[in-house]
Amino acid sequence: MVKSELIKRSPLRVFEKSINGGLGKGNLGVLASRKGVGKTACLVHIATDQLFNDKHVIHVSFSSRVDHIVSWYEDIFTEISKMRDLENAVSVHDEIVKNRVIMNFNQQGISTDQILRSISAMITDGNFAADQVLFDGYDFNEVTLEDVAKFKAFAQDHQLEIWFSVSLKPEEPCFDDTGFPVQLKPFTENLDVIITLAYSGDHVKLRAVKDHENTELNTMHLMLDPKTMLIARE
Amino acid sequence: MSIDITKLRNIGISAHIDSGKTTLTERILFYCKRIHAIHEVRGKDGVGATMDSMELERERGITIASAATNVKWKDTQINIIDTPGHVDFTIEVERALRVLDGAILVLCSVGGVQSQSITVDRQMKRYNVPRIAFVNKCDRTGANPFKVRDQLETKLGHNAVMMQIPIGLEDKHEGVVDLITMKAYYFEGEDGTEIVEREIPAELLEQAEERREIMLDAVSMFSEELMEAMLEEQVTEELIHDAVRQGTLSLELTPVFLGSAYKNKGIQPLLNAVLKYLPNPTEVQNRALDLDNNEEEVLLKADDSAAPVALAFKLEDGQYGQLTYIRIYQGMIKKGSELYNVRNRKKFKVGRLIKMHADHMEDITEAHCGDIAALFGIDCASGDTFCQADLNYSMTSMYVPNPVITLAIRPKDKKAADNMAKALNRFTKEDPTFRTYVDPESNETIIQGMGELHLDVYIERMKREYKAEVETGAPQVAYREAISQRADFNYTHKKQTGGSGQYGKVIGYMEPLEEGEGNYIFENKVKGGNIPTEYIPACDKGFQTAIEKGTMIGFPIVGIKMVLEDGASHAVDSSDMAFQAAALGAFREAYNKAKPVILEPIMKVSVEGPTEFQGNIFGSINQRRGIIVASVEDGNFCRVEAEVPLSEMFGYSTILRSLTQGKAEYTMEFEKYGRLPASLAEELKKEFEEKKKKEAGK
Repeated sequence: MVKSELIKRSPLRVFEKSINGGLGKGNLGVLASRKGVGKTACLVHIATDQLFNDKHVIHVSFSSRVDHIVSWYEDIFTEISKMRDLENAVSVHDEIVKNRVIMNFNQQGISTDQILRSISAMITDGNFAADQVLFDGYDFNEVTLEDVAKFKAFAQDHQLEIWFSVSLKPEEPCFDDTGFPVQLKPFTENLDVIITLAYSGDHVKLRAVKDHENTELNTMHLMLDPKTMLIARE
Repeated sequence: MSIDITKLRNIGISAHIDSGKTTLTERILFYCKRIHAIHEVRGKDGVGATMDSMELERERGITIASAATNVKWKDTQINIIDTPGHVDFTIEVERALRVLDGAILVLCSVGGVQSQSITVDRQMKRYNVPRIAFVNKCDRTGANPFKVRDQLETKLGHNAVMMQIPIGLEDKHEGVVDLITMKAYYFEGEDGTEIVEREIPAELLEQAEERREIMLDAVSMFSEELMEAMLEEQVTEELIHDAVRQGTLSLELTPVFLGSAYKNKGIQPLLNAVLKYLPNPTEVQNRALDLDNNEEEVLLKADDSAAPVALAFKLEDGQYGQLTYIRIYQGMIKKGSELYNVRNRKKFKVGRLIKMHADHMEDITEAHCGDIAALFGIDCASGDTFCQADLNYSMTSMYVPNPVITLAIRPKDKKAADNMAKALNRFTKEDPTFRTYVDPESNETIIQGMGELHLDVYIERMKREYKAEVETGAPQVAYREAISQRADFNYTHKKQTGGSGQYGKVIGYMEPLEEGEGNYIFENKVKGGNIPTEYIPACDKGFQTAIEKGTMIGFPIVGIKMVLEDGASHAVDSSDMAFQAAALGAFREAYNKAKPVILEPIMKVSVEGPTEFQGNIFGSINQRRGIIVASVEDGNFCRVEAEVPLSEMFGYSTILRSLTQGKAEYTMEFEKYGRLPASLAEELKKEFEEKKKKEAGK
């Protein structure tokens, strides 16, 4: 299969459709679940899809080592190219990794301002025309409303799609009756899209619990393939 | 004679330039009673410190080559491998680090953790070398060992714990308080040889109690016994030592000691710490690669009775010929026994076996497992592995990367020419990534290496050590050519010049190889003897001649497969020569159709510096056609990892210095070959054409 066909057939098209055309520039999106459900895989799949579309992605992480993140990308790419029997996989790979930068912050409790300053330096001084920024494992326990507002303003200033993956606290009931993550309630206003990942039977289901201003939420019909960890049609 | 391997330490003393490492080494040698008087590095007496053997080192007051010295402290033998602290000499540092089981990280109490300490520390981490820290120069104005401990934590990420506190600082620095024994120690008598134990001065008692609490809290993480003892208030010195040792060996704890080597303070306690906390050879796992088994890793046994395996880690030219320093990883080596050099597959007999002090040597009859010794008169290169003949183990991968940069050098006069030849011969033995040859076209001597700095170091050493002044040309990047698509050929070579002619016809195609398939493959698919079998090797040879020099810019062609499918021959006029010429002609014909491209070496570059300069670093990479792969921020410190074409990295150290007020540094290594952008490729092609024209006109 050639690259353009692969893009067309990607389950990410379903993903975008069910949130009315995707997250959109200047917006904040969240993938929320308990620990160990598959958020990082999901995030990396979203990023890889962007990379296939010749978009530029900054992957921000806080805990993992850089080589761990790189191997996530390698695994996801290999799975996709294997599944779709991608033509010229090696040169496609070499082409797209150029558009990915990983930024790792080791320091705990680093300020939002410092993070945004560094990303800004990457975009301006590093001349890296980012389209999407992913915050992997961002700690929403420590976040204030003000912080989220700063991210929102940053996304709008730089015309970025920003995705967060958020681990929900295990001790409380994670979701309310409607399936909305309790921990994210205070931030609802500034978060444009919220997608939850949770076990439904033997597989992990994706569910949109906030979709921009739409009150009618679409059912996603997407799950995580337990073998490849890729987003897949149900 | 059997010896107890647990009473042996192989340590390095590693540090930033000018943090007093050589002085410290000198003091250690002195207290171990091996040398009789103390000489300063920049010796007023003109003798110089014992470990510095090269003149260049004396002049600059720094240490370049690593020599190994054996000393005895109490009942334990310590081999001190003096590692260079300057960042440019990283190949030597890394080789020395392989040989170490532990290290003392020397830091200046004023300067603290500086950028080069960071490089050295990272290398030690990579080789899993446990370390203890020594904060030196506590007698200097502005000394603050506590600040240095904090920097160990913030800048190097060490779990650093003060094991001592100073009694007075700057010109009032008198001694140390040991937080385990809770006693004060003063170093009195001539050269500080008398250690006097007293009660802790009253004004320091509170601080000592406080620091001991912090130390115990940190250290108890490594010993449940100690933790229990703390709860029951039955802490013993032994329990603390054990816990510190556990933490140090696991690389999760860095005990911090302090003093002033220059003023003879704190050296003996540091030596005690080396014995107590750093590992003996049996506690370190060393692995070799089994060459008979696809370079599979094998664990070596630190046991005298096993078959010997040793690594040659350092060569030195002495008055009596080549001296080869070895570290024995397994088994023991006896004088007169036979060993096998794995690299050149040659057997040799162990002649003189020697134990080295920095300025004198001692003949020995056997060297034991874990120990460091030296051999005389063995023809070998640095990094070679010596084994018992039935083993085919290598301590290092046999893979040596190809040099990526070349530089033409010219000796200034006749004498320099002789010396230059000697120097080059030596360097190529020491360092497999350094190569040299004479270009048959320009008749110039060309040196090749892994980067600009790498070659600079050797130019400098030629001048200093060998008195060979050379002029250098502009550094040249080692480009490669490659084809990007399949192309067919059908070529007849025919010449009729009276007598027997030349005839050969070859038909087939060339195609690019995938990465990892090698540089050149020749496949013969000729059926029915259209090309007689005896001429097939001639075709192969013709193709191989063709790929030595591409027609685009005259660099070697890589990653190409030549397939010969058919052809024709003539009963009288065909010959090896004719088919070689046919293959060459066929290659040239097909090459341009195969859309050739120019490849350039891409380096993996890692820049480290304070976060405040992150933007400047990003910018500098971006301006050099670089791709930023990752950036890592840790406190005030950041590391940027990038892939940058080598041709853009010339002069980068100067630019980086000016962009960051000298606070950032970088390292780079060869990563891969990548396609040169078309516009730059055109420029190179034009240059090559012009050069060819000029040469033709001569």
